[in-house]
Amino acid sequence: METALHVENLSKSYQRRVRRPGLLGAVAGLFSSQMEELHAVKNISFSIKRGERVGLIGENGAGKSTTLKMLTGIIVPTGGKLEVLGRVPWRERRQLSLNIGVVFGQRPQLLWDIPVRETFRLLKTMYRIPDEVYQVTYPEAVRRLGLEPLLGTAVRQLSLGQRMRCDLAAALLHAPAITFLDEPTIGLDLSVKEQVREYIRDMQKRFGTTLLITTHDLKDITEVCDRLLLLDKGKLLFDGSIKDFVRRFANESRIVAELHQPATGPALKKIASEMKKYGGKIVASEGHKLIVEYRKEGAAPALTQILLKRQRVADLTLEKADIETIVTRIYRQPLASKGKIPT
Amino acid sequence: MRPLQTQLTAAEELKSYFSLFVRSLKANFAYRASTVTSLITAVFMYAVPLLVWRQVYSQNPGIAISKAKMFPYLLLACCVNYALGMSVEFRIGQRIRSGLIATDLLKPIDFQLSQGVQSVSDGLFNGALGVVVFLCGYMALGPDIFPASGLSFCLFLVSFLLAFLIQYFVCFVFVQGAFYTYSGYGIFAARGALHQTFSGMAAPLSLYPPFLKTAGEWLPFRHTIYTPVSIYMGWTQGEAAVSLILQQIAWVLGLWALGKILMVQSLKQLEVQGG
Repeated sequence: METALHVENLSKSYQRRVRRPGLLGAVAGLFSSQMEELHAVKNISFSIKRGERVGLIGENGAGKSTTLKMLTGIIVPTGGKLEVLGRVPWRERRQLSLNIGVVFGQRPQLLWDIPVRETFRLLKTMYRIPDEVYQVTYPEAVRRLGLEPLLGTAVRQLSLGQRMRCDLAAALLHAPAITFLDEPTIGLDLSVKEQVREYIRDMQKRFGTTLLITTHDLKDITEVCDRLLLLDKGKLLFDGSIKDFVRRFANESRIVAELHQPATGPALKKIASEMKKYGGKIVASEGHKLIVEYRKEGAAPALTQILLKRQRVADLTLEKADIETIVTRIYRQPLASKGKIPT
Repeated sequence: MRPLQTQLTAAEELKSYFSLFVRSLKANFAYRASTVTSLITAVFMYAVPLLVWRQVYSQNPGIAISKAKMFPYLLLACCVNYALGMSVEFRIGQRIRSGLIATDLLKPIDFQLSQGVQSVSDGLFNGALGVVVFLCGYMALGPDIFPASGLSFCLFLVSFLLAFLIQYFVCFVFVQGAFYTYSGYGIFAARGALHQTFSGMAAPLSLYPPFLKTAGEWLPFRHTIYTPVSIYMGWTQGEAAVSLILQQIAWVLGLWALGKILMVQSLKQLEVQGG
C-alpha cells in the first residue's frame, strides 16, 4: 500500500519568555529577556499508509496538536523529516491543502458571519470539487449530520455542537486523501458523537481516506481507528494496532463481587492471604463490594472458589481491562517507567 | 480512492478569489447596527475637521490654500479615506491571537491575495459610506467638489486604485509584526498614526512644516490620500500627475514583494496559539 505520510525524528521546540507570578512579575516581564526552551515533540518517527485509520492519543500537552499542525504544514518543525502525500507540508502547504481535510475542534474553518451554506459553496469552488463528488458528499453530510435546519444560519449563531458538525462536513466535502481530525467530537452530546463517528467511518470507507484522529475520547479511537499512536511529553510511547495495545497492556483482570455481608477484619485478611498464592490482590473493599485484581492467566477459577468458600456471594463478574483503563494507568505512571513500555 | 488533486489553474484560482470576495461582501452587511453607526461616524468625521478649519480660516484668512479649495480637499480626502477603510489588520491580528490563522493557512489559496480580496470588499462597503459623505458635501459645497477635468478624473481613478493597493500592502507589511508579538494593537496604532500624519488626510501636505513634508516624501502614506486627491482637484496635472502615478506603481510593487518576503519569515516562526 502507498505511503500517505512519513515522519522521521520529527521535533518541535518553542522559545517561551519566563514569566514571574504576580502583578510585579508581569511588569518585570516587560523588561526581562529570559527565555526557556519547551520541547513539544521529541524525535518521533512513524509512517501511515493510504487508507489507514490511526488514532493519536496522549495527555494534555503531550504534543498531539503540535504534531498535527506540523503534518498539515501550518507550523515548521525544528528537526527531523516529514512528508505528506510526497510533499513537505510547510514548504508546499497550498498544494497539499487541496488533498487534505482538517478539523481543529476548537477552530472552525467556517466563515463566521454568513450562513453555513455559503461556506460550503465557497469550499466547492476553492477545492475544485467535481460535481460527481459534491453530489455525494454534500447531501450525505446534510442527511447524516442533520445539517438541513442549520444551513441558512450564520455560523456565529450556532451552538458548539452544531458548529462542530458543520465543520466536519466542511472538512470532508472534497473527499480528501487524508483527513486530520483534532478532537472532532469535542462538545458533542453522546448521541451526536455516535452519529459523527459513524459518518467518519462511512466516508472513510467510501473514499478510502486516510484518517489521523487526536482525541481524549477513546471511543473515537476504538470505534473508528484500527491503529494507535500514544504520545507522552512529546515522545512516542506506542505505535501498533489497538488489539495489540490491549493484548500487551491489559495484563490485569478483575473480579468484582457483590457480597451479602461486607467482608471485614480477620475474614478479609484470610481471603487476602489465600488469594496471594494465586496472584490475586484485593484492591477495594467498600461495603458489600469487593474487587480483586490479578495478572496470572488461569487464576480466575481458583480466586473465585476462594471467594465462594469464604463469603456468601450475591453476584460476581470478571472484567478484562479496557483501553480506557489501560491508557489512564499509563498516564498515571511516572515518566521513567513509561519509557520502559515496549513498543 | 480519489486521485490526488493537482494545483489549481489561474482561472480556477480567480474563481475562488471572486467567490471569497462575494462572501466577504455579504459578511460586511451582517451587523446592521454597526453599519448604521459607521454611517453616522462617517458624517461626524467629516464635520469635525470642517468646523476646525472654518475656525482657522476665520482667524487667519491668509492661509496658502484658499477656503474654496481647502473644503473640497478635506471632503474628498475624507471620502477617499473611507474607501481605503479595511479591517485587514484587525482581522489578521485577531486570528493570530486566537490561533484561527491556522484555518486560513489550510486553504488552497494565497494568503496575501485572499486577504487582499477581503479588503476590496471592505473598501467597497466603506466606499459606499464615502459616497454618502460626498453627497452631503455636495449639498454644502456645490460643484466645487467636482473634478478639475475629465482627464483629471480618469487619472484620479487610476491613482485611487493604486492608493488602495498601497494602503493594503502597507497594512499587510505592518500586520507581520503581529506574528511575532501576538498582539498587534501597538503596531496597528503606529501604522494608524503614520497614516493620519503623512497621508494628507487632515490637511494638504503642502501646508506641512518642511521637515514633516520631507519625511512624508520618503514614505508611502502620502500616495494613499494626498496624491489621488491632488490629481482629482487638478493641483497636479500632466507629467507631474503621471510621475506621481509611476511612484505609486513603484510603491505597490515594492510593498507587495516586501509583504511576501516577510510573510515567509513570519510563517517560519509561527506558533498557532491555544493547543
